[in-house]
Amino acid sequence: MKVIEVKNLSKSFKVKIKEKGFKGSLKSIIHPKYKIIKAVNNISFDVEEGEMIAFIGPNGAGKSTTIKMLTGILYRNEGEIKVLNLDPSKDRKKLAYKIGTVFGQKEQLWMHLTPMDNFKFFAAIYDIPEKEAEKRIEELSNLFEMESFINTPVRNLSLGQRIRSEIVASLIHNPKILFLDEPTIGLDPVVKENIRKLIKKMNKEYNTTIFLTSHDVLDIEKLCKRVIIVNNGRIVMDDTMNNLKYHYLNKKIVEVKSKEKIDFNDEDGITILKEKETNLKLEIDTRKKNLSDVLKLIDPENIIDINISNTPLEQIISEIYKDNKVEKLKK
Amino acid sequence: MLMEVKNQIKVMILSFKYAVMREMLNKVTFLSNIIFMILNNSFFIIQWVVLFSLRENVGGYTFNQVLMLWAIASGTFGFAHFFFKKAYSLSDTITNGKLDAYLVQPKNVLISCITSDVSPSALGDLIYGYIVIFLSGITISKFILYTFFVISGGIIMVDIAIILGSLSFYISKSDMIAETGNNFMIYFATYPDGIFKGIVKILLFTIIPIGITTYIPVWVLTKFNLFYLLGVIAFTICITIFAFVIFYKGLKRYSSSNLMVAKI
Repeated sequence: MKVIEVKNLSKSFKVKIKEKGFKGSLKSIIHPKYKIIKAVNNISFDVEEGEMIAFIGPNGAGKSTTIKMLTGILYRNEGEIKVLNLDPSKDRKKLAYKIGTVFGQKEQLWMHLTPMDNFKFFAAIYDIPEKEAEKRIEELSNLFEMESFINTPVRNLSLGQRIRSEIVASLIHNPKILFLDEPTIGLDPVVKENIRKLIKKMNKEYNTTIFLTSHDVLDIEKLCKRVIIVNNGRIVMDDTMNNLKYHYLNKKIVEVKSKEKIDFNDEDGITILKEKETNLKLEIDTRKKNLSDVLKLIDPENIIDINISNTPLEQIISEIYKDNKVEKLKK
Repeated sequence: MLMEVKNQIKVMILSFKYAVMREMLNKVTFLSNIIFMILNNSFFIIQWVVLFSLRENVGGYTFNQVLMLWAIASGTFGFAHFFFKKAYSLSDTITNGKLDAYLVQPKNVLISCITSDVSPSALGDLIYGYIVIFLSGITISKFILYTFFVISGGIIMVDIAIILGSLSFYISKSDMIAETGNNFMIYFATYPDGIFKGIVKILLFTIIPIGITTYIPVWVLTKFNLFYLLGVIAFTICITIFAFVIFYKGLKRYSSSNLMVAKI
């Protein structure tokens, strides 16, 4: 069942143009000039129930604008949106009962209250009867391992505990879709990993659809099975994580430390990235040359150390951002 | 519909309770804000005592009527700022994308937003209003009428703040306009209407409706007039509807923001 349907969605913002300097400021008062910036430009996609989808792109790509249109915060200019069969602009309140949102950059909790009091407040917002709310809070605090700090004021919590509280607050009404806008921003790697585990657990337990935006590649890699990459307001790639890896992870990095210098020049499919005395860093295009063929070229007696790795996903994604030409990378 | 209103009121009360709890975290500051506001207002009355020792009436008002004027002005200001403090920072809320948090909740955005904070010093104004109305001589009917006018006047003041704040949907950096407009509602409220003539008087009963929030209530408290009372009710309803319409029309132009924001 489709829970999100987006067709030809566009959103523009009118921005004032100002020439530089004081003269420019005066001019812009007398003759203001504007330009239209298309933050989201004719995008279409669907999301199935229970999917964990990463919606990623560089800053200013249109991720947050899209998420805000999906949640009813912003009105669209063109196109159609159906979230759980509701139009977010027209049925904002109805939709709010069915979705949860966590904006990593914006706190929704009352800082002077404990998470418990905050959860009770959110339960009232979603019209959940007190007894039902208490049961739900207990269930979620167990799932998110919050027992040790549920009665500590939010202002005294660590950032990781705070984000966990934010997520629980947005789950209090058992939403069918959870929108996470950079939920792990500013967290240390251990806490990030913990949050990821909990999100995964929640998706498994309640079949909650997760719509995630993040700049952290590990968030995407570890959580999501499908990736939509946006740049300049357009979708540049919509594919499964497996396909992304299959199509784009066709290069291997081989680092060799040898006793004597090895010569790989003129070998098709091998690019020397770095060479320093007997240390070599190679990039192997596995479509042109098998990894085993490359290894055969090296005398095992000559090897001191060898390391084989994939091109980091981060690098691939940043190349997709930069080039905006998915086809080029596929070739 | 009735259930929806009931639930909205429940959230409003809870939000108000939590906002007061936040202010009470620092008891000394909370109480001193209230006490100093009462003292601050008291000094103005001393000026009027001096003035009335020189002449019998000012702008057609007796000293007792000036007390009522101050009680109404202070009470309406206190009511508006204590219960609806955020209406006065609506420009900032809109410009800096702080409406997002309310837009993802299944409640009325405007009501949830403007009731999410309180001003302790405004509680001082509200208390001061009641002290002064008692000093002017009180009866049960006067007390009920006064409370009614504090609420109606307070709502009108909040409506004006919403209309001015909503300009931020249309004009960037309109916070100065909103501030000036809201200050107009205070500047004229503590002077007898008799001293204003011509166009200023027309303005005070239309665009800057201090006539409705303060002057008419003083007239009705002095001598009951049902027609005036109904007029105040009708105006309050009309301007409230107008404020909501302006806000919701503007909301379609809301552009949010990605500023880091904390609900402190």
